[in-house]
Amino acid sequence: MSHLHTSATALLSFNQVTVALGKRQFGPFTLSIQPGEQVAILGPSGAGKSTLLKLLARELTPASGQAQFEQRSLHDWSLAELSRRRAILPQSHEVAFGLPVDLVIGLGRVARTYDPQLSSIVQQAAEQASAVHLLGRRFDTLSGGEKARVQMARVFAQLWDVEQGLLLVDEPLAALDPGLQFSLMEAIYTFASKRGHAILAILHDINQALQGFERLIFIKHGAMVGDYQTPHVTLPLLEALYEVRLASAVTETGEVIVAPSLKQVAAASLQIVR
Amino acid sequence: MVKSRLFFSQQLTHRPAWLLMLLLILGVWAAATMGAVTITWSDWLAILQGDDEPLSGGAYVLWHLRLPRILFAVMIGAALALSGALTQGLFRNPLADPGLLGVTSGAACAAALTIVLLAGSGIEVPVALRYWLLPATAFAGAVAVCFILDSVARWLTADSIAGLLLTGIALNALAAAVIGLCTYLATDEQLRSLTFWTLGSLAGANWALTTALLLALILAFWALRRLTHTMNALALGEAAAAHVGVNVRALRVRVIMLVAVLCGFAVAWCGMIGFIGLVAPHIVRLLVGPDQRRLAPLAMLVGAILLLLADTAARTVAIPAEIPVGIFTALLGAPFFLILLARMRRGS
Repeated sequence: MSHLHTSATALLSFNQVTVALGKRQFGPFTLSIQPGEQVAILGPSGAGKSTLLKLLARELTPASGQAQFEQRSLHDWSLAELSRRRAILPQSHEVAFGLPVDLVIGLGRVARTYDPQLSSIVQQAAEQASAVHLLGRRFDTLSGGEKARVQMARVFAQLWDVEQGLLLVDEPLAALDPGLQFSLMEAIYTFASKRGHAILAILHDINQALQGFERLIFIKHGAMVGDYQTPHVTLPLLEALYEVRLASAVTETGEVIVAPSLKQVAAASLQIVR
Repeated sequence: MVKSRLFFSQQLTHRPAWLLMLLLILGVWAAATMGAVTITWSDWLAILQGDDEPLSGGAYVLWHLRLPRILFAVMIGAALALSGALTQGLFRNPLADPGLLGVTSGAACAAALTIVLLAGSGIEVPVALRYWLLPATAFAGAVAVCFILDSVARWLTADSIAGLLLTGIALNALAAAVIGLCTYLATDEQLRSLTFWTLGSLAGANWALTTALLLALILAFWALRRLTHTMNALALGEAAAAHVGVNVRALRVRVIMLVAVLCGFAVAWCGMIGFIGLVAPHIVRLLVGPDQRRLAPLAMLVGAILLLLADTAARTVAIPAEIPVGIFTALLGAPFFLILLARMRRGS
């Protein structure tokens, strides 16, 4: 728990936030996200990662604790105001009625009552998400990867002319092939770093988290169990998080790759060196 | 590239609007000339001149019977189609129709209860209030069903159209039972007015109702201007709609109120006319796509044309007798619904 920031400069800060869903308690979550920071949330399935993201996105109301966004209580923001500062890339991509792709992307900006740049922003956001060739098509005729691109373009359009906003990402790439995952993640980095947006992403892929994110938050049994700068993350920490033996290897280019150990060797002795 | 495409789509979207408008005007004219009494050009001239002398013959029929009835059909059709388009947008599904979901039978049930219970209790309702009493209770019934659907179906079977339609079936059955009970308790005179609800008819049309309905439609249209684009965002799903800044709960309540007002008016004055709300938005979606900003107004036009056709058929097929228009729309709509189901099955 080494990550201490003064919350005065934080983009988003949670202090002892809890929520109850049915009989399950989640939290307390205490964390703060700085502008421009790139944070990954890791943890086993059902640990409460999505619940944390829903709290951060204001889909859920905390039972206790303080949630602040830009020094204002998260719940004092109107949804329209909030939508101009933060966007969420969802896990599922379905859109009813087969709306045209252009309209879906433009819906990212539906909360703006006066938006003269709309069509040019839709075009540019589509370019950034490599979805230009999909403009003019119906959303329900697209493949899974194409839907992901369009949803991403929608999120880009939402924060296109915003600086230092927040991008919440909910395992959007889990079902896609590796090449596509890579190019979509690249598009998110490029888009966010150009504007100083912070990224907070739930990830399943440990390697993606280690290589692409500067800070990792560990969630287990509905609570935060770790908050580390990526270089401080060790194999035993990850093994404890997932309760699985892990092995690591270093590629020719010096990247560290982590994978579940197939042989039950004492992998705990290996250290991740980055 | 974007510019040229937008221009192209504008052409496409404007042409259907004008064509439909033209079709509607032609339809109104054709419907006015059809019927037991022949209408001549001089009759049109007579009502246009607006002399003080009382109208006679064809001109009388045209002004006092046919025109109010035709305009009433046009506006009820528009109201039903709009409520269908809104319901489908709200529940994110092209099969959601106020009739199938039990909204119209909820309204009819409330109206039936009003007729029977009010007469049973012996309370004398002032004539001026009578026009408004049934719409008000029908509205209450429609609102009740909408909120039950919205909460129960959401709670029992979240996000499943099957669950929504099944809840609709249950509510329809419940409403039918209450209406049945009312028929059982009703006197002969009440029975005649009750039959009217279950079949649906536009025979009650007059200028006063037509004007009132026109006002209601203008209000609905005004409310629509700001609703339609946020309703597009609902297609993303409720969570994502909130993420892009739409206050989903407020939007839902507003849409439900609008649907209930439209259904309440339609049911109170013309009984249960089914399937217009299902068919009209679907035709428009085939013509111009699912963008609610175009869908809602164009669905109103198509609904107007459809109900005008059905009502003209109902008036003229068996002159001098008249067939309830609800029978025609059901004959037209039920097969259409089956085709829709088959298409959806193939699509998914």
